Amino acid sequence: MKRGPVRVLSLLLAALLLAGCGGAATQSPGSSAPSNSSGPGDSSDTAAPSDSASQADTSEPIEIGVITSLTGSEAKFGEAHMRGYEIALEEINAAGGVLGRPLKLVVEDDASKPENAISAAEKLATQTKVPLIIGSYTSAATLPAAQTATKYQVPFIVPTAAADNITEFGSKYVFRINSPSSEYANTAINFLMDQVKPQTLAIIYENTNFGTSTAQPAKELAEKAGIQVVAFEGYAKGAPDFKPMLSQVKSKNPDAVLFVSYLLDATLLMRQIRELDFNPKVYIGAGAGFSTPEFVREEGAGKDAEYTFSATLWTTDVTWKGAREFTEQFIERYGVEPAYHSAETHAALYLVKDVLERAGSLDRQAVRDALAATDLDPDATIFGPVKFDEKGQNAHPMLVTQVQNGQYVTVWPREYAAADPILPTPTWSERK
Amino acid sequence: MELLAQLPQNLVSGLLLGGMYALIGAGLALVYGVMDIVNMAHGAFLMVGMYTTYLLVTHLGIDPYVGILITAPVLFLMGMLIQRLVIHRVATASHMNQILLTVGLSMVLVNTAQLLFTADYRQVRTSYAETVIRIGGVAMNLAYIISFAVAVAITVALYWYLMKSEFGRALRATAQDLHAAQLMGIDVQRVQMTAFGLGMALAGAAGALLTPVYYLYPTVGENFGLKAFTMVVLGGMGSVVGAALGGVTLALAESMGQIFVGHELKDAIGFIVFVLVLLLRPQGLFGRARA
Repeated sequence: MKRGPVRVLSLLLAALLLAGCGGAATQSPGSSAPSNSSGPGDSSDTAAPSDSASQADTSEPIEIGVITSLTGSEAKFGEAHMRGYEIALEEINAAGGVLGRPLKLVVEDDASKPENAISAAEKLATQTKVPLIIGSYTSAATLPAAQTATKYQVPFIVPTAAADNITEFGSKYVFRINSPSSEYANTAINFLMDQVKPQTLAIIYENTNFGTSTAQPAKELAEKAGIQVVAFEGYAKGAPDFKPMLSQVKSKNPDAVLFVSYLLDATLLMRQIRELDFNPKVYIGAGAGFSTPEFVREEGAGKDAEYTFSATLWTTDVTWKGAREFTEQFIERYGVEPAYHSAETHAALYLVKDVLERAGSLDRQAVRDALAATDLDPDATIFGPVKFDEKGQNAHPMLVTQVQNGQYVTVWPREYAAADPILPTPTWSERK
Repeated sequence: MELLAQLPQNLVSGLLLGGMYALIGAGLALVYGVMDIVNMAHGAFLMVGMYTTYLLVTHLGIDPYVGILITAPVLFLMGMLIQRLVIHRVATASHMNQILLTVGLSMVLVNTAQLLFTADYRQVRTSYAETVIRIGGVAMNLAYIISFAVAVAITVALYWYLMKSEFGRALRATAQDLHAAQLMGIDVQRVQMTAFGLGMALAGAAGALLTPVYYLYPTVGENFGLKAFTMVVLGGMGSVVGAALGGVTLALAESMGQIFVGHELKDAIGFIVFVLVLLLRPQGLFGRARA
């Protein structure tokens, strides 16, 4: 056989092989794991759907699209998401599934990068027949994914991302279970006014969608409440050294410091604050890093986390139905306490069950309308009530915790509190 | 002016961080500045050094700094192996091919780390990383001070080695003109392997220094890999010590810049300084003007 045709043939063969193996389109250099994992039952990347309306076949499981960060800097939270999904999935399928069919998750990994979240949403919208998508973790990844889902008219449930702009771009397809950033700011400032009454406040925030969308409202609310904001410092995430910035903030002598940070930066910030011997009366975080299980352990800030407050969405000692049992099951299976991220995804699947049953079909428009009409009372999910306003935002009730003896304890509002807050915060030298 | 009151802390913080940056830059300089190989896996090498240090601490109880005596040789051997098996093939190829290959190499290393260690963040706590030295109004982490001292020592030793030893001369000759060096009887292949091995060993040493004061996870190298190129060019292509000083300069720029702008813009300041140096002195701070 001549050389030319052999070359062309082998090129063609290679191209076909690559196309067949395709599905790793959502990865970028530096990311890894298979682009999928799914709940019990089997897992396979969705092969391109057959031309017929695939999910209408009632003997097949209902596929739900999920985007989260299985790899990359936020992989810990992707793991937390998946754990919540897994427990809920088992419970729902054991109880008969949804519309008489088991649920199955089609999971896409955004590798903690926004650009991958976009391609993940696109893939789920166009290459599968999922009636809705749930995702992701960071606001930076969730916003573009939500915009993409809106473009393709696929209902999009947000379980975790907090940036306000996610429900503010006029989409009819985005529904958020958790509170937006401004609520964190609201809760933190309300707590400060109620329990601390500071004259001055410093706000330290990550310079991203997540950070700025909480820090800005916090500043405005503080000023409206008569608190002087003496420092408003954005920082670049992942930096090894915050000392110049922290020493600047220390020189302004704030009564309280509000942080908007993810875990890694929260850890270094508290360590370096101790090094600088910086002693405001109160450290309060707006959730995220300051609320994760790792933060109080040696992997995180450890002892340096003691006495810090945080506005949070959910605690293991909250009174909503099923939360206690969920916590126990979680500890038994995974050896650690669940954080609110797992509670959010657990509730998200129960929401999906309720929505699909009310819609009675998997048609995306019907599902969207059912989502908009949701009205679940506080005991319907372990995450409390779910009812969306006209922008798709749920009015979730928030809590404040304090780290006492290495544990997160609910201290506010008083009607949900398990203990009193310890105020003022002991100085670093007093703590030895 | 109250901003001036910040000067001492910023200066010291920048200098100390600069020590670690310097090793990262020097490591890449050997490979990129001297051997002209665009190595996009340098950040991944740093990560390998950090995990090696982590293993030494948790399984053998060896201090991270003492562990450099093991980490560096281990990574040196790895580097030589990688050069011989992988990099060798693109040593004289276009930069584009080198980029593609080293990006792939980086992916392999990162994913292997992910497989072996999962994506969990890990921290290594040492007593001196919890110790603070306070002089005047400036607070310094003892681990940073030690890291700086070790980085200086390694850089000085490296400079002496490159200038005085037979290998150093062979390396400089190979960098100047590969074929002429071959004609002179230099075993170019061995020189390239050794240089790459040294580059990886330096990245590993930098990782060891960073471990007590930072956190590790598989993609941690991304935070430093790209900056390393800035340091090499800032210092001047072809100058290993130049890159080390370039690293210190970059860290200082980032830190001192925070007197005027917020922490969020520190990387921008670093790059502005980089661009200014290139405009005013294209050969870098310590490089020779290219023919």
